[in-house]
Amino acid sequence: MNGGHRSHDCRPGASHALALFLSGCLAACSTIPERVSDYGPAAAAAELTGTPFHPQERYQCGPAALMTILEASGAGTDMDTLIRRVYLPARQGSLQTELVAATRAEGRIPYQLAPKLSSLGAELKAGRPVLVLQNLGVSWLPRWHYAVVVGVNPEADEIVLRSGTERRRVTRTATFLRTWRRSGYWSLVALRPGEMPAEADRERWFDTLAALEETGHIRNARAGWQAALGQWPDATVARFGLANSEFLLGNWAGAEAGYRALLVSQPGLVMVRNNLAAALLKMERVDEARDEAMRALRQAEGTAAYRQAIEETLAEIDAAAERM
Amino acid sequence: MNNSKTRLFVFRLVAVALLSVGMTQVSTAGMIGTDALIEEQARDGRITRIEQLIDREDVARQLTELGADAEFIKARIGNMTNAELAELDGRIGAQVAGGDAIGVIGTVFLVLLILELVGVTDIFKSL
Repeated sequence: MNGGHRSHDCRPGASHALALFLSGCLAACSTIPERVSDYGPAAAAAELTGTPFHPQERYQCGPAALMTILEASGAGTDMDTLIRRVYLPARQGSLQTELVAATRAEGRIPYQLAPKLSSLGAELKAGRPVLVLQNLGVSWLPRWHYAVVVGVNPEADEIVLRSGTERRRVTRTATFLRTWRRSGYWSLVALRPGEMPAEADRERWFDTLAALEETGHIRNARAGWQAALGQWPDATVARFGLANSEFLLGNWAGAEAGYRALLVSQPGLVMVRNNLAAALLKMERVDEARDEAMRALRQAEGTAAYRQAIEETLAEIDAAAERM
Repeated sequence: MNNSKTRLFVFRLVAVALLSVGMTQVSTAGMIGTDALIEEQARDGRITRIEQLIDREDVARQLTELGADAEFIKARIGNMTNAELAELDGRIGAQVAGGDAIGVIGTVFLVLLILELVGVTDIFKSL
């Protein structure tokens, strides 16, 4: 049954980045570490039998796998759109970064799981299938393949996948882990706005939301920060992120409240003070804005990056003062 | 002549276009993005981890034996870029993955690795 994959090999363009991943991995991962292969506490069999299936055209496992997780998350999209978005004919494959970007464009939050079988199982239990990148060849002759994990069965030691033209491919867990390891355990989950990963890794989640902000998916970022604060109410990054999304959505008063609350406990956070000044300026409270910006500038003594940003804010404040 | 004038015009047009793109970004910016705070916290975390390692009694002793000054090394670390720090932290992490740093690779090796990576010595050219 191994041959089933052979005729559907599918190369992502990012083989260079992956090669780096792999070379770093060669020495360290001759065996799969237990923290990766552990099914997790109270692991039970789980399979999302209702997950849709999109048998792939040759080389197009990227769009097919992406379509599968997007559809499972309720995103209304179609295969042609996805193929246009993520498939690179010249490389006969899709880049991982394209899959991530397309997930954002479809209004979902692309989250990469911590490299652990237990995280994978937790996502399935939360009802979300997981897209994975496998190398079905060997490290020196890679054959990249995107598939979707829809089931784990700790008792039988098996993983169930939507893969290539097989609706239900059952693989021994050890085999799956070997092929997954060669991609640096790369995975992708499509979360709905406001949802959190089942086992959210704090840093990963914050990076995910900051990337949403950077790419202009502000509403989804805001929902994400709100959810994050439910789990880590004191996280400075999440409070800053939430205030920033209010700012970027034009809710200046909300942004001001968020920045001020942060500054009460941490008055030394220069970038928060800079953003407070920017929010005040938007509300045409020029004098207050200047006071905060000047204070931020004094606090930023010696840190070139923030100084520049604050000086730009100050320049805007001066320009606004002249217009008034 | 005419040709080069046209070229100059096009060049200026492109330059202005590029500049104005940059400027709209700056003026809508004003606000510093969340990623800046994430990066700052990551940096602080890495520095703390590395400093704690240097402060370990056995590591400190080894440093002294090699004639290296811990405070000097810390100052060097403080001046490293985020990318350099990430590499140093990652290198140490890769060596010790799954175990205690000293137990796995030995104090001497660890100290030499730190010295090399902060640029004090030049031992592991091929590492």
